[in-house]
Amino acid sequence: MNLEKVIFGFFIILAMTLNFGFFVGDIDNPNHHLHYELYVAIVVNLIATILKFGDRTQIGAIHLATSLVADIQLIAAAIIWAAAGDNGANPEVIVGVVSLSGGAFLANITSVVLLIYETVTLRR
Amino acid sequence: MRAPLLLLVVTYGIALIGFVLIPGVNEVGKSIHLTFFQAFYILSYTATTIGFGEIPYPFTNDQRLWMTFSIYLTVVAWFYAIGTIISLFQDPALKQAVTAANFKRAVEQLHEPFYLICGYGETGSELVRALDKNELRVVVVEINQERIHELGMTDYQFNVPNLCADAKNPEILLSAGLRNPMCQGVAALTDDDHANLAIAVAVKLIKPELRMLARVENDVVAANMASFGTDHIINPYKIFGEHLAMEINSLGTYLLHQWLTSVPGDVVKTPSAVPKGNWIVCGYGRFGKAVVKSLKQENLKIRIIEADPKGTQCEECVVGSGVEAHVLQEAGIDDAVGIVAGTDNDINNLSIVMTALELNPNLFVVIRKNRRLNEPLFAHFNADITMQPSDIIAHACLSYMVSPMLAAFLNLSRMQSNSWANAVIARLVMAVGEQAPDTWGVRILPTHASAICQLLEQGHDIRLHHLTMNPANGEEHLAIVPIMMVRNDEKILLPDLNMEVQQGDRFLCCGLDTAKSTQNFLLNDIRNMSYLVTGVELPETFIGRLLLNQKSK
Repeated sequence: MNLEKVIFGFFIILAMTLNFGFFVGDIDNPNHHLHYELYVAIVVNLIATILKFGDRTQIGAIHLATSLVADIQLIAAAIIWAAAGDNGANPEVIVGVVSLSGGAFLANITSVVLLIYETVTLRR
Repeated sequence: MRAPLLLLVVTYGIALIGFVLIPGVNEVGKSIHLTFFQAFYILSYTATTIGFGEIPYPFTNDQRLWMTFSIYLTVVAWFYAIGTIISLFQDPALKQAVTAANFKRAVEQLHEPFYLICGYGETGSELVRALDKNELRVVVVEINQERIHELGMTDYQFNVPNLCADAKNPEILLSAGLRNPMCQGVAALTDDDHANLAIAVAVKLIKPELRMLARVENDVVAANMASFGTDHIINPYKIFGEHLAMEINSLGTYLLHQWLTSVPGDVVKTPSAVPKGNWIVCGYGRFGKAVVKSLKQENLKIRIIEADPKGTQCEECVVGSGVEAHVLQEAGIDDAVGIVAGTDNDINNLSIVMTALELNPNLFVVIRKNRRLNEPLFAHFNADITMQPSDIIAHACLSYMVSPMLAAFLNLSRMQSNSWANAVIARLVMAVGEQAPDTWGVRILPTHASAICQLLEQGHDIRLHHLTMNPANGEEHLAIVPIMMVRNDEKILLPDLNMEVQQGDRFLCCGLDTAKSTQNFLLNDIRNMSYLVTGVELPETFIGRLLLNQKSK
């Protein structure tokens, strides 16, 4: 067992699960979406991105790309929420935030699929 | 790279969540939580040590406790990250990679003909200066970083792409534009014969049609270079010997030679007349041999002083170094007219001539300078002729690079009489003054002189003097002297100004820099050229042309 692989897999899957946890629920109901969870998802996504730095293979490049996509969408969601200020609970704001996190979730799924593919094709 | 970034994200993550979770109070004493954005804002200015204070409300003790902890946590992480990033940019390997990439791009973006110069020593710098003055572009590869710095400090009119690298490496030559179609030739001017050989071999293997100039001092290496097809093998001692012979034999030809191969704008020192009689040559090395050979051709009597007759295969000589008075006397210093101090030690050379001049103050002195370091000593001494290998090589290279016609002209001029050369110089001085002129080639081809070719096709009679006319004043001529014409491999020296010009002709012109650019403009400007040739101004507008056509019908 390789500790590096454990950490790598842990953060990538955690990024996806946290993302999913925030995304799931009625799209316009602020009570279904915990802002702490969005925060943790952003932090974990950033860590996952940095962990992917420096891999020069083709698959490594796609890995990094998916993470960057997820980061951009999650940070955009956070910026919308912060910019809305006191109107943060309004349905039109929460719809935007959640749909962006939905996009990030897709990117995270891709990332996990790549991770699984890499593991499966590993012949040892 | 990863570790500092990860540390930054983790420390921010911890500090930020703390600010959101710890409750504060607003101005009416109501408990509130900071939002994520507020927390991020506070943390951003705290971690980067800017510190705007406690906003939106003064902090509670709990918050201040957490702030204290966060400051130490995040500030340390920031410094670590910034330090790592800055040291990454200062990494010598990265810097070198960036310099090499910039150099390669600069060479690729050269859309003008250029020469590649390997070795920017004394010779290289003199040559680059001369080519720059002649408006030819150069690319420099030099192994010594100090010399590259010197190149960067020198003020050239064109940007000179340069790289600090070993030119023996073919990869370096390729990145310096060896395969670039604009590359006109390569000059290997390092002070190491074998490095020059390696460059010549690489160039001739990669691109055999490219013109290759190489400096060489060893005859074996020279022969090796010749077998690889090196176009011009430049041996400074041999050239100096030839020049010395020219100076003795025909001063005018020598001066003409010096004039045309100097850096444009420099003042050329008038050479002193070399006396005929008995000569003493001290040192029979490569330099001494070349000098003796050319002096013997001029039928001068020579005595050689050499410390090591066996090692230098000197058959007849006085043994000694030449610094001792009795050795000089034995060689017949009293009735000699000239002395050549040609050992490879500058101090010895100076000492030889000092002693010799004490014995016979009327001597003509030829001295060999080996190291540029000793320049002030030689300048102070002011010998009749100081042999400086770097200048000789640079000027020899220049004659091949400026225009292939120049080298041909110089070869032909050596066969002419001294008075012919003096007449040429007089004509040049009248046209351009005392300074060394620019030299350039003119080709009567549609790509190079479109106006002339167009007029020739229209059946106009164009004479050589049309090429040197001043457009500002049709009566006057530009400061240009055509010194050679090449038509179908036939070379005509100093062509008559009434000579007919035909398509395909090539001319070698001498003149001022300003005249050169005016001429270049004229050759491609049909309106001005046609006015100068026919005396009729062409209509510039559509209606003007229409009216002209009507009239001619």
